[in-house]
Amino acid sequence: MLPPQTVSPDSPEEFAAALRAASDQRRTIALFGRGTKHRMAGAVPAAEVNLSTARLTRVLQYEPRDLTLSVEAGIRFAEVDQLLGEHRQMLPLDPPFAGEATVGGVLASNTCGPRRRLYGTARDLTIGMKFATLEGKLIQSGGMVVKNVAGLDMAKLLIGSFGTLGAIVVANFKVLPRPQVERHFLLSFDLAADARAARDRVLRSVLQPQSLDLLNPAAAARMGKSGFLLSIQAGGNRAVVDRYQRELAALGPLSEVDPNWTARLREFTPAFLEEHPEGAVVRLCSTLETAPALLESPAPAVIRAGSGVAYLYFAEASAAAAVLSQPKAILEFSPTSRSFTAELWPSPGADFEIMQRVKRMLDPHHLLNRGRLFGRT
Amino acid sequence: MLSAEAKRKLAAVVGPQGYLDQPEDLLLYEYDGGVDKARPEMVVFPRSTEDVVAIVRISKEYGFPIVGRGAGTGLSGGAIPRMGGVIIGFSRMNRILEIDLANERAVVQPGVVNLDLTVAVQGDQYFFAPDPSSQKACTLGGNVAENAGGPHTLAYGVTTNHVLGLEFVTPDGEVFTTGGKEADLPGYDLTGLLTGSEGTMVLVTKVVVRLMRQPEMVKTLLAIYNSTDDCANTVAEITARAITPVAVEMLDGVMLRMVEEATHAGFPLDAAAVLLIELEGLSEAVLEQVEQIREVCLACQAREVRVAKNAEERDLLWKGRKNAFGAVGRVSPTYYVQDGVVPRTQIAPTLRFIGQTGAKYGLTISNIFHAGDGNMHPIILFDPRQPGDLEKAQRAGEEILDYCISVGGSITGEHGVGMEKTELMPHLFTEETLAMMRRFKELFDPEGRLNPGKMLPTGRGCLEIRQPALGPSSIVY
Ligand SMILES: Cc1cc2nc3c(=O)[nH]c(=O)nc-3n(C[C@H](O)[C@H](O)[C@H](O)COP(=O)(O)OP(=O)(O)OC[C@H]3O[C@@H](n4cnc5c(N)ncnc54)[C@H](O)[C@@H]3O)c2cc1C
Repeated sequence: MLPPQTVSPDSPEEFAAALRAASDQRRTIALFGRGTKHRMAGAVPAAEVNLSTARLTRVLQYEPRDLTLSVEAGIRFAEVDQLLGEHRQMLPLDPPFAGEATVGGVLASNTCGPRRRLYGTARDLTIGMKFATLEGKLIQSGGMVVKNVAGLDMAKLLIGSFGTLGAIVVANFKVLPRPQVERHFLLSFDLAADARAARDRVLRSVLQPQSLDLLNPAAAARMGKSGFLLSIQAGGNRAVVDRYQRELAALGPLSEVDPNWTARLREFTPAFLEEHPEGAVVRLCSTLETAPALLESPAPAVIRAGSGVAYLYFAEASAAAAVLSQPKAILEFSPTSRSFTAELWPSPGADFEIMQRVKRMLDPHHLLNRGRLFGRT
Repeated sequence: MLSAEAKRKLAAVVGPQGYLDQPEDLLLYEYDGGVDKARPEMVVFPRSTEDVVAIVRISKEYGFPIVGRGAGTGLSGGAIPRMGGVIIGFSRMNRILEIDLANERAVVQPGVVNLDLTVAVQGDQYFFAPDPSSQKACTLGGNVAENAGGPHTLAYGVTTNHVLGLEFVTPDGEVFTTGGKEADLPGYDLTGLLTGSEGTMVLVTKVVVRLMRQPEMVKTLLAIYNSTDDCANTVAEITARAITPVAVEMLDGVMLRMVEEATHAGFPLDAAAVLLIELEGLSEAVLEQVEQIREVCLACQAREVRVAKNAEERDLLWKGRKNAFGAVGRVSPTYYVQDGVVPRTQIAPTLRFIGQTGAKYGLTISNIFHAGDGNMHPIILFDPRQPGDLEKAQRAGEEILDYCISVGGSITGEHGVGMEKTELMPHLFTEETLAMMRRFKELFDPEGRLNPGKMLPTGRGCLEIRQPALGPSSIVY
């Protein structure tokens, strides 16, 4: 997935130096991890310098007893997941493309998955970061402790910045103990309203599920199921998880699915994109109240129903236009063909002006990842 | 100096009841909860975002510094007008604008008192998670500026994890909103950058926060120890055994005795240290964890583990914890609180170092802190009338923070750098990093008019510590 002549520096310092060298010569730069998300947030046109973090793969520090982890940005998320698993710990981001995606790419794209309901996203689990600037500097943010307010939280800006401000080279996380038991439940309904009502009752209850997702029939069909689905993952001791089963069963027709279900749900987007080279995915940042309305969409809809973020899947990108016209929608993944020219982020807010100031401060010559950030940089 | 003309214009914006400019009134605004002092030339109390804009424009026109202020409970001198100028007090912008339980959100003005938000929603079984020990007084604006924490942030995260959007006024007088009720809005996370910027980049005029559903069951335990080391080791052991309390607070013997005298919360007077541990969640989880915690504490040589039997007993234990600073005020005229953080496994050696440092300088240092996340709060008692005492206290504080850094920690977990720790920032961050922070500050505040002399090194030594801030007669928490 990486362009030919991609350079992969061996250390954060060399990475910073490579950025500076390219910047000094005013060359355009494309940043990559392992290139899994090339269709996300706007394609980067061919750049003069291609830099990848793929060789920044060291685990710098892992203290299971402190529940903290520091890794270089190019390490695969799956590798981190495995390392933590050996100590019955986890970094529950559930990013798509989990097998190949690098930690840096996960952060830069702010990708996450079902368990965000309970554990939050990258902005909640990242406790420190080092990023390299075009001036060749390595900038620190935060540190290796779980609570820290020393200085500006610049890491927040890099999370979700799609490599348009600088390159994440090291990331520190707080990690969590894995629950003793995790189980996966499905409630399935004939009517969207009933699925929604069940979701509402879970939200208002004392239950604290790890995930809470709504799928419409088109999305359910892609997962080999039918109806409107409420998908719930619960963790805890055996008694706790048994209680989830009891209480959820009172809400509608309940079935239990194997752990593979969540992995497939997490990989819903990659699977769809692979099947549909000319397809597109719209992300709608919505609220708990308004998101369930999207269940009526004829296109497959997966709604993170505990956070209000919804994903809509279009086999033909042109069909996405109507949803995209909603205020907080973006075309998150584009078709592969270059002829596609729709606005990816049709309506940025007024604060976009400040974002542009930030961009100009860190990349005054507009060299980094042109076209990324949904075509807005 | 603030010109008479500028003063007149400011007064016209906020009205005759909306400002203070008499020396006896200004005196009350020359300190916060910390130990530094500087007097403002005027304090203005806007009622709306428009008022804030008008005030900021006057500041721009006449070139005087402005400093936002919530309740003034900050412990690092954040709300002190270090370079003089005008304080913008947010106490009249204290309305909860919207409670939106269906979306688990509230929209508030910055002057809303932290606890008032929880009180407003607790009847519906919701709460606002960040709970600084000062929550009866401190404001959401101050919480956002400092990225405040509290005992329960161990499980629920600090302020930044619960703030989804802001409305703010830049030092140029522009108004922006960023973020909103929705999560994951595209673009750079300005909300995340500005939360914790210590009132040095923008003035916050509206905050969108997350509300959480109350847990089914809460259990509070008190574990009592004859050795501080054993107490500290319990914290690491709890983590190692994958037990996840929502709060783990530690009080050492010195602190216990002060707290008990002041609050009669039932803390044992002869113990070396105690842990106050809270568990929340589904009853099936909490009941199991109570037993697990008891087991860990006893395995770590706790001499006794008590479980609060009811809400009254629990409230009493927490009252002891949250009134601690008031209790210190009864004993020592002046004290100096530090806020370093260490990895959880380093708590025991850090406490030993703090003890040695106190002995070295002949100062009493007591400890009451958020042990669950390694956030130390050594409270250094000193007598400002004793020549040299405050310098000793300062030096002891610095040595403790340097120790925290040396074991992989930080100089502040929740109180902020303020004007107190600016010169320690280079111990933690490289010159390049500090330069980058300064560029961000300048991007928002090119003229350096908003809360100057904070958060970043000024190149000058620390200002003198002069006066007690929170004395026995101040607000009791
Ligand atoms: C007894 C006691 C216990 C405490 N316990 C804790 C604790 O457990 N956890 C914790 O985190 N802190 C604690 N603190 C510290 C303090 O309460 C917090 O930092 C709190 O967030 C400050 O809020 P405030 O309204 O008093 O702000 P102030 O002290 O008035 O101001 C703090 C900073 O916020 C800025 N500011 C205020 N309003 C605005 C605004 N609208 N826009 C921009 N900037 C603004 C000020 O300029 C200043 O820099 C404690 C303090 C005391 C005295």
